[in-house]
Amino acid sequence: MAAKSSPSDSVDRSEPPNDSSMTQTEENTVTVKEVLLIIDSLKKQVTADRSVYVKKRLEENRQNLGGITSHLYKLSNERRSSWISDTDSASDLLTKRQKDALSMQNGFDISDGDKDSYSYQEPSTAVLMGSSIPVKNAVRPVKLTEVKKLPPYTTWIFLDRNQRMTEDQSVVGRRRIYYDQNGGEALICSDSEEEAIEEDEEKRDFAESEDFILRMTIKEVGLSDPVLESLAQCLYRSPSEVKARYETLMKEGKDAGASKNGDIEAQNWNSFLEKDLEAALDSFDNLFCRRCLVFDCRLHGCSQDLIFPADKQTPWNHPDEENEPCGPHCYRLVLNSERNGTVSTPMNPKEKSNSSSDGVGAQTSSRKKSSGPYARRKVKSCQSESALSNAKNLSESSDSEIGPRHENSLSPIPQLSPSKNKIAGKSGILKRNSKRVAERVLICMRKRQKKMAASYSDSVVSGGVSPTDMKLRSNAWKENEDSTSSSQKNVKSPNTGRSRRKEWPLQEGEKGEVPEVPSSETINELARSSSNYGLRKEEFVDENLCKQELSDDKSWKAIEKGLFEKGVEIFGTNSCLIARNLLNGLKTCWEVFQYMTCSDNKLACHAADGVISLLEGYSKFDLNGTMGNNEVRRRSRFLRRRGRVRRLKYTWKSAAYHSIRKRITERKDQPCRQYNPCSCQTACGKQCACLLNGTCCEKYCGFMVNTCVDDILMLIHLFSFLLFAHLYRCPKSCKNRFRGCHCAKSQCRSRQCPCFAADRECDPDVCRNCWVSCGDGTGTLGAPPQRGDNYECRNMKLLLKQQQRVLLGRSDVSGWGAFLKNSVGKHEYLGEYTGELISHREADKRGKIYDRENSSFLFNLNDQFVLDAYRKGDKLKFANHSPDPNCYAKVIMVAGDHRVGIFAKERINAGEELFYDYRYEPDRAPAWARKPEASGSKKEDGAPSSGRAKKLA
Amino acid sequence: MAKTPIGLEPVVGSLASSKKREYRVTNRLQEGKRPLYAVVFNFIDSRYFNVFATVGGNRVTVYQCLEGGVIAVLQSYVDEDKDESFYTVSWACNVDGTPFVVAGGINGIIRVIDASNEKIHKSFVGHGDSINEIRTQPLKPSLIVSASKDESVRLWNVHSGICILIFAGAGGHRNEVLSVDFHPSDIHRIASCGMDNTVKIWSMKEFWTYVEKSFTWTDLPSKFPTKYVQFPVFLASVHSNYVDCNRWLGDFILSKSVDNEIVLWEPKMKEQSPGEGTADILQKYPVPECDIWFIKFSCDFHYNAAAIGNREGKIFVWELQSSPPVLIARLSHAQSKSPIRQTAMSFDGSTILSCCEDGTIWRWDAVPTN
Repeated sequence: MAAKSSPSDSVDRSEPPNDSSMTQTEENTVTVKEVLLIIDSLKKQVTADRSVYVKKRLEENRQNLGGITSHLYKLSNERRSSWISDTDSASDLLTKRQKDALSMQNGFDISDGDKDSYSYQEPSTAVLMGSSIPVKNAVRPVKLTEVKKLPPYTTWIFLDRNQRMTEDQSVVGRRRIYYDQNGGEALICSDSEEEAIEEDEEKRDFAESEDFILRMTIKEVGLSDPVLESLAQCLYRSPSEVKARYETLMKEGKDAGASKNGDIEAQNWNSFLEKDLEAALDSFDNLFCRRCLVFDCRLHGCSQDLIFPADKQTPWNHPDEENEPCGPHCYRLVLNSERNGTVSTPMNPKEKSNSSSDGVGAQTSSRKKSSGPYARRKVKSCQSESALSNAKNLSESSDSEIGPRHENSLSPIPQLSPSKNKIAGKSGILKRNSKRVAERVLICMRKRQKKMAASYSDSVVSGGVSPTDMKLRSNAWKENEDSTSSSQKNVKSPNTGRSRRKEWPLQEGEKGEVPEVPSSETINELARSSSNYGLRKEEFVDENLCKQELSDDKSWKAIEKGLFEKGVEIFGTNSCLIARNLLNGLKTCWEVFQYMTCSDNKLACHAADGVISLLEGYSKFDLNGTMGNNEVRRRSRFLRRRGRVRRLKYTWKSAAYHSIRKRITERKDQPCRQYNPCSCQTACGKQCACLLNGTCCEKYCGFMVNTCVDDILMLIHLFSFLLFAHLYRCPKSCKNRFRGCHCAKSQCRSRQCPCFAADRECDPDVCRNCWVSCGDGTGTLGAPPQRGDNYECRNMKLLLKQQQRVLLGRSDVSGWGAFLKNSVGKHEYLGEYTGELISHREADKRGKIYDRENSSFLFNLNDQFVLDAYRKGDKLKFANHSPDPNCYAKVIMVAGDHRVGIFAKERINAGEELFYDYRYEPDRAPAWARKPEASGSKKEDGAPSSGRAKKLA
Repeated sequence: MAKTPIGLEPVVGSLASSKKREYRVTNRLQEGKRPLYAVVFNFIDSRYFNVFATVGGNRVTVYQCLEGGVIAVLQSYVDEDKDESFYTVSWACNVDGTPFVVAGGINGIIRVIDASNEKIHKSFVGHGDSINEIRTQPLKPSLIVSASKDESVRLWNVHSGICILIFAGAGGHRNEVLSVDFHPSDIHRIASCGMDNTVKIWSMKEFWTYVEKSFTWTDLPSKFPTKYVQFPVFLASVHSNYVDCNRWLGDFILSKSVDNEIVLWEPKMKEQSPGEGTADILQKYPVPECDIWFIKFSCDFHYNAAAIGNREGKIFVWELQSSPPVLIARLSHAQSKSPIRQTAMSFDGSTILSCCEDGTIWRWDAVPTN
């Protein structure tokens, strides 16, 4: 269509035509004709705009290009001048010939025939050509010595492990055009099925100009069906599409107006620091491969099912450095100085040394002093301590439980632990508590008088004793309550509240050690105490504290908070480690500690609330020490919105066309089945996906969490999950699991080894005696001596990539060939045949293309996948076919994946070319791959059989 | 192809010839019997602006255009391998300015001929299949790119004989690459197109250190750490069939398929997500009877005009940078019947050469206007 470009009538697109308001008011009901007229005029306007736009763009481009070409012209002139200046022009044959030709043209003005004869006599000079004499004969050509050309290949990328095909690499549904090599004519190579796919195009987006027409038309004539229809007609769309677009346009218009002001502020925010850690961790959830332990795994893909490990990871425990301040901002140092400054007066020297960072000695000495009644309880307290440390391992929240009971250390009777390690572990917590006390003292001092502060410190002592008592027996609870609350109720209500609050999670923590469902008594107690707690909540809402917390909260950015929460999950309450490893440069240890203290309190508060509300309904669940932790986890889990679980929906249908593919077996059935981890929630039963699929369960099988929509459901779900987590993974006792081998002597190299016999590589995680030695390679460093004497598993070569050096060269047979660098013995593993994992359907389509080129790098892997080494692979893809080969291929299960290994069939000497039998299906094999005697005997051989692939070994 | 939305239609040139310029046949040469696939003027060195090279069969020939329609044969080279069939030729030069003729064809070997010594300078072996086009970086004429049937584009340094980069892999072409071109001013950028119907824009910015390294490399060329560029920065599906020629026009791209037209479009990249973007088709230059593949067009030095031959031996000369496009001239001759594979426009566009399937070279000169 020719453009109507009259610049005068072009109007800016956003500017409505002048008469728009008039038309709208005058006529509410417009005829279709008028509508069309309006649309038409708008269309013209848009077209005119477009041509003006194109003109403008071209003009801009022309000006740019003008500069560029003149620069290039300058360069070409420079080349000329530099050449002339520093080289003798006579030596340049091109220039010489040029001059010769010029002088010849000027000197001789003779007939064509003469020119030719001239040129024959002196072939080194130029020849002028006037008419149609073959140039071929005019000058003696310079011969270009032959260079041997390479055997043809398509550029390929080296792969050291298989990759699953990415979506954009698919040829299915795409029209491909090939040309006939001989005729030079292009042929369209696609079948009807593919063309059908091409028909339904994706929805086109509305262009800016279309929006304009839409908006203006509706503005002028209003929104009615005939208008929509004529619009749809002119925009080549359906009326509903047009309507939907109009609505979104209107909405966008409003939004744009509203958000104009807010935007500017928002843009100034630091996007990185404001980003929620959960959002950042999203990539971890979606991109991290649970099987390969790498990000962006090209083999297993993204958005894998999350499988939670059964064994809860224990928080980081680093005994060595516990006592050392981690730096100038370590909370230990800060605490020390603060405490010394404020609380030292009411405390006796011993207490001070107790609470100081190297208070181990002091504690030990005071241990001897422990009084009678305390000694009685000592055994129990020791127990509970060990139990507590377990609880700490179990969940983060138990840390807040440990907290209160160590207030005891401020009292004359210090709590002691049996092992040094534990003392070290606790001294940190101890300081934390004393810090809290110090904090409160400060507040009190500010708030009230010094006198009160003194009495307060007394109360600390008494209050500190009482938790010790009731820590183990909830019966003691009331006594303690009485003693504390009655004595100093008015003066130090905040403290009481505090200590209560800490006691509360402590109880939780203790029960956490008991995995069974708690007795009704305990539940009652829990309920009672929690209600008590609820009643008393008002008491401890200390304004000052809250203020402090608030300000703390504000200075912590979302990402920092997220990192902190993760840090607590990993390191427990060790603020030194959290600050150093996760918040380095963002927060100091002291800040982390402060924040931790605040959030602990809050968490405990939340936890209690949660308990109260939940207890009635779900008393069945043991609301143990994981409460506080849940607070953290609930959020994190819930926010991890994974993409839909992408299961490979593959329906095998036998395509009419089978391309030529390499196989390891001559049977027609699919040799192996693809393993996909099952998601059995309990021990694998009859419904186990693995079992139904006919594969064994592997170490990757297990429970996965599907996206839970409902908040509460999720919470309950998580409770139950955390409780029974150990049941949810396909256990080692799973009947469908492959048990590995117990080989002792055979080195797993014969069929006596169950792994070897099942075409699997040994797995150090599964087999008893097959481990990966590290260090010097002789197995002395990492291998415990009791596990067999110098036993080295020889069935892990693919896993460990212990392959031979393969060289690529010109084959003695045809094209490229693979050669071996060093000699190897029989059955030695040579290397892996890597490639893209594609579906059988895809392989059929690609096969068509490859067959045209008479080369195939397709290799049947299992019932789901075919390996394609055409564009991605390794050198072994160039190993040629031979009916009498020196190698063989074998599909082996390595850590849940099928892989193709190439093995030596016999002894192979260094430099020999490698061949293996491609095992093409007899009727489809290309001529060069057919055995001379093939036809008759093969057909019987190919009779279908239901068994698994037969090994070739 | 999807219907272009209203308001984004390209401006299509009218085939009514403006007769801005008139061309006449001034010479016709029969080079040989084998088809000629490429003809190209030397735009690298201003001394040789009237020198051009052709390839056909196993032969590379260098000519000069003289006054009065005279063409002089300057040099001729023959590959000893009779089966070689050169598809493409380009001018390049050494770092010291020595003129090179670079040719490639069915054997996949790039022949770098030192025209000042009439000797082979280097032969680049590496491509796995035939070479469909070679182009020279105008800013650094020691750098050439080659497009090959092996689905890759390679960047070479003719001075040191090094294969610097390979543009292929995960995001590369999925079929033969038919054409490639250097951006005229952005030295990092190339555009390639081919039988997978796409045009891809590649950037070598990240790999520029390797390009620099290739000039100072003293070790064996085979030891050079050749890098793969696996992902293009832009991918356009402007055509629905083979794309057999593309050229930069400033920041725009001219490309042609077998749809009887040359298309001018602007690649609009999305800054955040490389590899994605849209192509805004600005203009179309119709070329009737141009529906077979491997027909390439050429531009004059300043990109004012483009000349393209068709299946029937006619040539269309379009004014490139006017909107709407103007057909400068339509060249036809009673005896020119064979498909024209490529044309060459001289520096100022006053001479147009065409090389044909039947092995002839035609010279057209603009009739001077008074």
